[in-house]
Amino acid sequence: MQTFATEAIEWPDTAVQLREQVRALVAEHGEGDPVRRANCWTKADPAFSRKLGEAGLLGMTWPKDYGGHERDQLERYVVIEELLAAGAPVGAHWIADRQSGPLLLRLGNEELKRRWVPAIARGEAFACIGLSEPGSGSDLASVRTSARRDADEWVINGQKVWTTGAHVSHFMIALIRSEAGSERQAGLSQFVIPMDAPGVSVKPIIDLTGAHEFNEVFFEDVRLPASALLGEEGQGWRQATAELSLERSGPERYLSSMVLFLKLVRHAEAHPDPAVRDLVGRLAAEAWTLRLMSASVAAKLARGEDPALEATIVKDLGNSYEQAIPELVQAAVEMDLAGEEALARVTAYLLQVSPSFSLRGGTREILKGIIARGLGLR
Amino acid sequence: MNDTRRMLAEMADPLFAELGPGATMERDWPRIEELGLPQLLVSEADGGFGGSWEDALVVFRLAGFHALALPLPEAIIASRAEEGSDTHFLLGAFARSAQIAGALDAALGIAVAYVNERQQFGRPLGKFQAVQQSLASFACEAAAANCAAMGAAQALDRGEARFEVAAAKLRANRAVGIGTNVAHQVHGAIGFTREYGLHELTRRLWQWRSDFGGDAHWSKVLGEAVIARGADAFWPDLTARTDPEQRD
Ligand SMILES: Cc1cc2nc3c(=O)[nH]c(=O)nc-3n(C[C@H](O)[C@H](O)[C@H](O)COP(=O)(O)OP(=O)(O)OC[C@H]3O[C@@H](n4cnc5c(N)ncnc54)[C@H](O)[C@@H]3O)c2cc1C
Repeated sequence: MQTFATEAIEWPDTAVQLREQVRALVAEHGEGDPVRRANCWTKADPAFSRKLGEAGLLGMTWPKDYGGHERDQLERYVVIEELLAAGAPVGAHWIADRQSGPLLLRLGNEELKRRWVPAIARGEAFACIGLSEPGSGSDLASVRTSARRDADEWVINGQKVWTTGAHVSHFMIALIRSEAGSERQAGLSQFVIPMDAPGVSVKPIIDLTGAHEFNEVFFEDVRLPASALLGEEGQGWRQATAELSLERSGPERYLSSMVLFLKLVRHAEAHPDPAVRDLVGRLAAEAWTLRLMSASVAAKLARGEDPALEATIVKDLGNSYEQAIPELVQAAVEMDLAGEEALARVTAYLLQVSPSFSLRGGTREILKGIIARGLGLR
Repeated sequence: MNDTRRMLAEMADPLFAELGPGATMERDWPRIEELGLPQLLVSEADGGFGGSWEDALVVFRLAGFHALALPLPEAIIASRAEEGSDTHFLLGAFARSAQIAGALDAALGIAVAYVNERQQFGRPLGKFQAVQQSLASFACEAAAANCAAMGAAQALDRGEARFEVAAAKLRANRAVGIGTNVAHQVHGAIGFTREYGLHELTRRLWQWRSDFGGDAHWSKVLGEAVIARGADAFWPDLTARTDPEQRD
């Protein structure tokens, strides 16, 4: 049995130059507060996103005709892992660049593509994901938000929840029941909903750290043109689940606590301690392994394969790793969690946000269920 | 996998499967020698196979997978480094990482087959979510050990690979704990018997975890190296280890 086909990764020849470009850009933007550099892909900074757009670092793999740069997938991988390792504030454009843009290019009609894709590549249009609803979390096939046809328009009613970045986004790609009375995976479609459409309202949800990152989104008789349907009517489930390999295996699934690991190394430089040293060794080994695993999924995606099982393994291991770091650091170093020291502040912050790492993007239990199915169980 | 490695695998797999944990030096070593496997890394000019570390990974992994009771990995690394040297110790750690990766995959396969067959409460154990989730964790660990061994092999082929081998052995060692626990747990009492072969894998896994440096050794080596380079160097060093040389 071999669950993860391992192969050599051909890193692009431009990797070194791309890394230098990203490092310079991040340094110029200013590194800022170490707490903001933790879990940085939820930190929205539209000005930084525009800078990346100007530098040609968004929509990197997309056709030039749609504002992209026709570079290869692994070049993009190099750029995003650099941004995350540096703790850059990439939250505003993250979802649009990672999955909404590719989805629009793959399935969107010309009108949708022209309207959104070039703007995403410029770092000017941001997107959110409308999957979860109050009654539909892990059991996503139970979504109830509805789309009803009225002449040549669609009328949307219902509610999404936990929508990351809805308040800074320009559009949502939502999974919606487009056939009245349909059940489960059937009768679902994806729609592109401009956030400024009449009838769309966004209500903040404050998380346990006091931050506003996710939201409730309400739809009240939201009228959309026929062109708002993404892909095929009734194929929403298949379309939405096909994006998951993109969503699950990226370097954001193991790097959310990298800044804390680096703070731990900095601490160890000044305060030699065998226990901390050994912890640094173990965490470094894990980071090195996860990077190879994540990049090897990226290489498979680049070749047009769909390594869904491998992607799920990367997310599960990566989330456990980034989740364990704050706890391990707290156990290894005496600190005043309420104090001003950077190590303590980042630890305190990550202790609070890390429970979300194994929830967002599919919970640990759901991922393990997918892996079990891949093993031939169930 | 390229053609050479596929050929190597096709040659080693059935032989190791046949010899397995019951192999003896007197009876079976000649068959290993006949295939030239101990000379895997010896250059063709010197009458060897001229293989790479990635080729060696294939052989080591299969030796682990089939719990081969012959010192083939030892013989292969002996052609590259003198026993007692630092390099020999490092190469030994790489060999064990690869054997661990193979043995974990084998144990996972046995465990999955077993839970799909064994019935309790009127259905196969594999239908119970608690069993599924444990095996999923095992699969993640086996995957990590395999990727780590591959990364170390590639690094050895590029040159200096102390960091990668240390990381791969540490990662493999960690996978041993979770993997052997789950493999035995889902088997119940049958897995605890001498007759049922699971122990041929798990007892080796426990042994290999200590061979050529356990967790304490390699976490110290790696931790010291990372701290000596400093926080600012960690990420640039990590990426420089895999990036192609820049062309001018
Ligand atoms: C920070 C954050 C950001 C998010 N951003 C978005 C977003 O942008 N867009 C969006 O649509 N959603 C978003 N989500 C929602 C996320 O996708 C859901 O939280 C997740 O799918 C789980 O759903 P739930 O919270 O309703 O939990 P539930 O599904 O109610 O699950 C609760 C617990 O029960 C377990 N469980 C559920 N079913 C089973 C089962 N069959 N077997 C075993 N255990 C089970 C779960 O694993 C979990 O541990 C976000 C969540 C977080 C925390």
